[in-house]
This record gives sequence, C-alpha cells and structure tokens, in this order.
Amino acid sequence: MRIRTTEDIARVDLLGLLWTLVRTDFKVRYHGTWMGFLWALFKPLAMFLVLMTVFSFIFAQERNYAFNLLLGLFLFDFFSESTRVGVTSLAVKGYLLGKTRFPRWLLVVTSPSNALMTLSVVCLTIVIALSVTGRSPSLAALGLFGLCLLAMIVITIGFSLGSSVLFLRYRDLNQIWDVIVQAGFFVAPVVYPLGIIPEKYHFYLYIWPPTAVIQFSRQLLVEHHVPTLKAFSMLAGVTATIFLSGLLLYRHYAPSAAENL
Amino acid sequence: MGANVIEVRGLCKSFRIPTVRRETIREHLFGLLRPRGYRRLQVLDDISFDVRRGETVGIMGRNGSGKSTLLKLLSGIYQPERGTVRAHAPITPVLELGIGWSPELNAIDNIMLLGIAMGLSRREAWAAVDEILAFAELEGFAGLPLKHYSSGMASRLAYSVAFKAVCEVLIIDEVFAVGDIGFRRRCEERYRELAAQGHTVVLVSHDPRLIQAFCNRALLLDAGKIALEGTGPEVVQAYLKLLALERPAG
Repeated sequence: MRIRTTEDIARVDLLGLLWTLVRTDFKVRYHGTWMGFLWALFKPLAMFLVLMTVFSFIFAQERNYAFNLLLGLFLFDFFSESTRVGVTSLAVKGYLLGKTRFPRWLLVVTSPSNALMTLSVVCLTIVIALSVTGRSPSLAALGLFGLCLLAMIVITIGFSLGSSVLFLRYRDLNQIWDVIVQAGFFVAPVVYPLGIIPEKYHFYLYIWPPTAVIQFSRQLLVEHHVPTLKAFSMLAGVTATIFLSGLLLYRHYAPSAAENL
Repeated sequence: MGANVIEVRGLCKSFRIPTVRRETIREHLFGLLRPRGYRRLQVLDDISFDVRRGETVGIMGRNGSGKSTLLKLLSGIYQPERGTVRAHAPITPVLELGIGWSPELNAIDNIMLLGIAMGLSRREAWAAVDEILAFAELEGFAGLPLKHYSSGMASRLAYSVAFKAVCEVLIIDEVFAVGDIGFRRRCEERYRELAAQGHTVVLVSHDPRLIQAFCNRALLLDAGKIALEGTGPEVVQAYLKLLALERPAG
C-alpha cells in the first residue's frame, strides 16, 4: 500500500463527506419510522387541514387563503425544523469531532438537508398545483422565489453556525429556541394575512426573518406581485447580517468545540 | 531517520475548571449574583520535542500526566494555549475510537462516515468496506445498527477504519488494548506493516512490552512535563520506577 501524502490529503473528499452526511442524516431521520419520508410531509399537511378548517371561516374573504396557508406552513416548518436541528448539529456528531480533524462546518451546513428535501417536494407540488389551476407563476417570479428560498437557507445556516457552537456551552439553548420558534409561528404571517395587522407594526414583524420570506413568496407565487427592490434589499441585509454574525461566532468558538463536548 | 515531520515547541495547555459547573443559560442567569471561582489545571507545561520521518516515538506516563491531551494537540483536535505544533505531513489520529458512533446507522454507513472524515475518498472508503469488516471480524454484522454492538465490537471496527485510512503520520492512543488476543495480534501485524512502509508513528501506551518492542525513542510525561526523553527501555525503566514510588509502602 502506498503512503498517503500531504498532496493526497489536500484533496479531502469534501463532496463525498457532504453526500455521506446528507445520506446518513436522511437514513437516521426516517429509517424505521412509519411512512418514512412521507411522515415529514404528513405532519405539516395535518396541521394545514386543522388550521384550514378553523381559519378558513375567519378569513373567508381571502381568495387565496388555502395556497397562502400551505406555502406559509411549509416555509415556516422548514425554518423551524432546520434551525432546531442546526442548534444541536455539532453536539450530536460529537463522536466525529473528538476523533479526527476534518472541516467541521460541514456538519452544520448539511444539517438542514432533510428539511430542505421536504420543502423542495412541497414547493414543486405547489407550483404544479398553481399551474393546473391556471395560475402558473412566471419564470421571473419563480426565479425570485428561488432567491427567497436561498435567503431562507442562508439564514438557517448562519443561525446554525452560531448556535451550534454556543450550544456546546449552553446546553439549554435548544429548549429556549424551541419556545422562541413556537412563539415565532404566530409572529410570522402563517395563519393570518399580514394585511389584518396595522401597517405601522409591519416593520417589527419583518424583523423576524421568516416573515419576509413567507410574505414575498406568497406575493410572487400566489398573488403575482413582485416585491419592491427596497424590500428585497432589506431581506438581503437581514440575511447577510445573520449569516455573518453566525460565521463570526463559529470562527471564534469552533476551534475549542472538541474541548466542550 | 529523515527530517522532522512534527515539531513541538513550548507547548502549554491548561483547562479552566470552574468551582461550580454551569452548563445552561438558566444556570448562568441564576448564578449572576453568585460569582464562581476557577481553578486552572495545567495539563501540559512547556513541552518541546521533534518527531522525525519514519520513526516510532512512544509516550508513557501515569494517568492524568497529559498524554491524551498531547495527542489531541498533535492531531489538531485541541488548540494549543501557548507554543506551537508544526506538522509537515498529514496525520491520522487513532484516538478514543472505542467510544462514539452513530448508533442508529449500521456498520457500513459508519465506516463510510468515519472513513471519509478521516481522509479517505468516498470511492476508497466504499472499496475498503469489506476489508475493514474482515479485519474487525464483523462481516456477519455489517447490516446491524451500531447500538446493538458490544463495546469491543465497536472498538474493533473503529480501529479497523483508522488503520485503513492511515496517512503518513499515525497517532495512536492505547490501540493494542482493544479486543481479544487475535485482534491485538492483527493490530500489531498491521502496525509492523505500516512501520515497514515508512509511516511515522506516535504511540501512547502503558504497556512496557510495546514501548520496548516498537519504539525507536520514547518520552516519559509526568505532571505535564517531559520527565525523560530516551530509548524505549530507558523510558520504561523510569516509568516503572515512577509507578513504584506512588505505590503505598507495605
């Protein structure tokens, strides 16, 4: 056998590791569960049916309430699921951190993969459903919706980078985040249309990142209305701020991560 | 022996041990008015040594003398507090492999995960699965989730992966203390092969036979300092003397 040298190791199989992490995360999450991957879709769908039954009476005048609710639920579910998994992403793979040296950020970056798969399936279904009902969004709208999703993914990765290293020091961070996310479900306009809130409060609602992504996605896909450049710039600013803050925290604390396991 | 592959200069590492352990935000908040003290545990204090290409360096020392911390610093898993560790070749650490796997995944998935994290490509890891399972004598348990493995089976599997993923420098912590006699013999054989191929090895062991048989040179760590640097037999003698001193009289 040939000795593996520095040149060999410089070609660490990042893609191979990324794929293996995604594949094994998927397997751990769904293997042996009743209905497997379908369960991930079923949970928000069941929620949709319950909320739809209750709130469609209250918001009967809202023409696109069902599509808006479905889109909002799955986008929020992605945010909730991926950030929850992200907080503990380093801790649950502590067995790898203490054994060898490899790009640890991969553990964080791959953590939203399961939630992303669910979201992809749902988004595709919604776009197909809109097309079938004669409300097919334009290509430009789809492209801008893709940018909104990208912003959401970058936000969750940024949050996960920062919170995953903090979790190693503060072991109840995940419980606190759970409470924040639950409260945040009602801050984001998931079950209610944003229009029922007085406009002077909108700014505060938009501070909560899912609000902008959900609202813009609805406008693009369902209402065929393109948000302003200023609105997109604000989303980009929030995304960059969260990502950079998370990255700075990660860079500061990650070198000592193995010492806090 | 060739040029230095690892250079350690003035290496220090200490851990800050709080008098009261607070691990949650709630504990930190409730403890705001009750400040806690800290004790600094100096684990390594001004360690300097070199490892040359192709040699096997043994490290001995009593429990708590800083051996495992030193290996983690050499492997880049821990960061030095002061001093430097310069590695001029890729390192495969074989540390704490008896503990920790993804319990829900089977042996093959765990081999892929650990193998790639240790530096194998996905293709190499996949091609090596059978060989790794055979080395660990676990061919019949390939599809079994690791949560059903005994600690010995899990350790054997981990060492088998590490021996397959080995880079130019191998850092081993008590490797030959795992498994039955047959597995230890295979580990020793594998180790001899690696040494014959020119791998550099840093080996921590409490076993005088291993240090004498395998090491060109050895270090004795005591209370975080290098108490002696010499040949394997010299360090073994000093280590045994140290143990005899700490034994209560009578």
